Amino acid sequence: MKNLKINGQLLQVNADDNMPLLWALRDVMDMTGTKYGCGKGLCGACTVHIDGEAVRSCITPIGALEGKEITTIEGAEGNPILQTVQEAWYHADVPQCGYCQSGQMMSAAALLSKNSDPNDEAINMAMNGNLCRCGTYTRIRKAIKNAADSLDQNNN
Amino acid sequence: MERRNFFKITSLAGGGLLLSTYLPLACTTTKESAFDWEPNFFIRIGSDNTVTFICSQSELGQGTSTGLAMVAADELGASMDTLKIEFGQGSAERYGNLQDTGGSNGLRIVWSSLREAMATTRELLIAAAAQKWQIDTDECYCEDGFIHRKNDEEKLAFGDVLDIASTLSAPREIKLKEFGDFKYIGKPIKGPKTRMAVNGTTPYSINMKLPNMLYAAIERCPVWKGSLSSFDASEALKVPGVVEVLEVEPTEVQATDYRGGVRPGVAVLATSTWAAFEGKKALKIEWEMGINGLKSSQDVQKELEDDYKTNSKANVDLQNATALFEGGRKVFSAAYDSPHQANACMEPLNATAYHRGHKVEVWAGTQSPQLTRDRIAELTELPLAAITVNNQPSGGAFGRRYFCDYVEEAVILSEKVRVPVKVTWSREDTFLTSKYHPICKDYWQASLDTNNFPTAIKYRGSISRPGGYRCYPYSVPIAFYDYLKYKDDWLLPRASWRSVYAHPWGLGMECFMDELAHNAQEDPLQFRIKLLENAKIVEQKALPWVGDDFYPEKLKNTLEMVAEKSNWGKKSEGIYQGVSAISYNTSYCSMVADISMTNNQVKVHKVTAVIDCGLAVNPSQVKAQIEGSILWGLSATLKDAITVEHGHVQQSNYDTYDLMRISDAPEIDVHIVESTDTPSGTGEVGVPGVAPAVLNAVYAATGKRIRQLPIRSSLLQSTDS
Ligand code: FES
Ligand code: FES
Repeated sequence: MKNLKINGQLLQVNADDNMPLLWALRDVMDMTGTKYGCGKGLCGACTVHIDGEAVRSCITPIGALEGKEITTIEGAEGNPILQTVQEAWYHADVPQCGYCQSGQMMSAAALLSKNSDPNDEAINMAMNGNLCRCGTYTRIRKAIKNAADSLDQNNN
Repeated sequence: MERRNFFKITSLAGGGLLLSTYLPLACTTTKESAFDWEPNFFIRIGSDNTVTFICSQSELGQGTSTGLAMVAADELGASMDTLKIEFGQGSAERYGNLQDTGGSNGLRIVWSSLREAMATTRELLIAAAAQKWQIDTDECYCEDGFIHRKNDEEKLAFGDVLDIASTLSAPREIKLKEFGDFKYIGKPIKGPKTRMAVNGTTPYSINMKLPNMLYAAIERCPVWKGSLSSFDASEALKVPGVVEVLEVEPTEVQATDYRGGVRPGVAVLATSTWAAFEGKKALKIEWEMGINGLKSSQDVQKELEDDYKTNSKANVDLQNATALFEGGRKVFSAAYDSPHQANACMEPLNATAYHRGHKVEVWAGTQSPQLTRDRIAELTELPLAAITVNNQPSGGAFGRRYFCDYVEEAVILSEKVRVPVKVTWSREDTFLTSKYHPICKDYWQASLDTNNFPTAIKYRGSISRPGGYRCYPYSVPIAFYDYLKYKDDWLLPRASWRSVYAHPWGLGMECFMDELAHNAQEDPLQFRIKLLENAKIVEQKALPWVGDDFYPEKLKNTLEMVAEKSNWGKKSEGIYQGVSAISYNTSYCSMVADISMTNNQVKVHKVTAVIDCGLAVNPSQVKAQIEGSILWGLSATLKDAITVEHGHVQQSNYDTYDLMRISDAPEIDVHIVESTDTPSGTGEVGVPGVAPAVLNAVYAATGKRIRQLPIRSSLLQSTDS
């Protein structure tokens, strides 16, 4: 049993300490926005934020997470950057099957929270761990740049 | 109220659906207090004005649900802003036998029947409103979810006229809208699918959770056609959360290999996916590897080569192609290799089944809801009516989800435990013990005229000819040779893979054309155009398999456009170009790859593509399909492949089977040919041309002809041109 702070709420999670956050979210907490893709930190489908950093939840056991701020795609409402990223994704018509996209958007939001104007190089660095079999990369790149622009406008 | 079929949908021998209005009364149902009108199986209109489009085809990420919804909304006069979308269960009774999604057919096969059904519904709503207003139907029209009165502000919501509409007979004649009247078709509309994906709420079957459901993971025999000798579950059962360990009996691959092919295995049933995965790791299993345990990829390659030497009889000879090789003509030959490949969909295979004894319900992302339903009926020996297949959106499918073995597994397990069971494949399972695009070696020969232009072609594909796909290279007469028939006990079981056999076919044909062009000392793009200038329309209906007619003019047009858009032949220092041109079903796609070479490494900078897919219902989605196809093709060209050693697949996850990543992705520039022809598919036509465009560019850069995939720098070191 663990008390985890997920999307601003303190929640009781009834699961083994070794259970990766991914499966605690999906199977125990019924928060299925975070996706299983590889289970080995190779694809990024399971990306969430822990204290603002993009983290692969498939290799992060819940035992170590008490006292940390966990944000998932379901927590977009309380996260203006993530919300802006979602809108940019929608307007650039990024998703195809959509399965990788929660992870893509979480990685992109973490990038934008540290770098408000990422160039191609910075986007490659931040996003290379997120696979998309449908091949939406060109639109992802565009959406990140659009999101950076709208965040910039909001701040001015 | 009793459910009645308003439309009888019958599939015609020549394809296409016949929609006949055989009952005067429309179907109405009373659900709780709301009144729902279902004039046909595509639409439900509620008295509260909710309009729900029921998508018969599978949503795999290709956007079919949005595209079809746009067609429905336009023909009906409904609003895309408020239209709801549901997915139709697998049902031949409702949708004829054309529900299964493969070969990029989603939009193509329901285009007419959907429009007719919606036009009929629209006329009924108009007739009902006219009756209410006591005016002529000519005075009314449908738009944005309302029936409007011409030259008047007055309007009625669809829900306001259902009481009348549901009692009316269908009009004898219906008029389809003109292209100019469409509000959505032709525009880059985003449907509910995009919103759900952005919110992370798409209902993939991997998210299923039912009361009392058990989560299952299966350890499958690592060698195809091997068998289970014994297993020890004691350690697995000690893993917290593990409830039960059960044997999974294999099922035979059926004559149409989409069915069956469940591997022998041991299933761990648990209270969470993770517990099931952990329990699976603790299993101790002895397998009997069988004959395939001695075989490797190279053995299959050799088998294909040997078979080519001993077995070479033309089985289809079009326009006497074989005769055109006689008389001491010059012959040009080449052979092309492509390896086993995995679909590697991001959503691992999974299915949930609930076997209640007398009936079975399943939830799965499937391309073949009808075939799957038939197969479950066969497997469980229950009548078809007892089987429900709920088709969820898929996190990628690409042909793999046409094969229903992964659904069979869930049914087999639920039958044993009689509670709902969700089987989730680990990523390793999807690489190590799945079904695969087969290894191919394709032989091409051309007989040449005095200008070194081809007068006839001999094609010897491996494993299969390119099925019903367009296979008439530039209208040159062609002879198809016997191929090595795929057998169930082959090294690996077969699955479809985006573009299926058009991928090896396209690889061979478009590299071969390039070789012929260079041999004739012609510019490769102009060479293709010259061939097409003299080409005739080929009526593929005359061929021994079903295909679509080939219009050389359309392919030529895409080539001319791609030459212009890509600045063909005018590239800066260090950038080299390669071209390809593909026709697939009734779509045409030409592309040019711009590459550079450093230290024998290929870098693809840009791919320019021109597609003719008939009317582009949703141009944003058409472009997305081509963008995705290009990355798909590039993964197969530049990244990894499936290889087998002693029966065991060597790639187990994305570390050993890498895909294109964002840093590898080139600039992509897609152009759509304007057309009002019936929409044709876009999901696959972009794939087969990618590898040849890149390989042809590599030749332009290095003078080295690579005839095998994927490109390895070692090939560039060792190959002489
Ligand atoms: S599922 Fe976590 S990185 Fe792939
Ligand atoms: S959108 Fe399908 S995997 Fe990325």
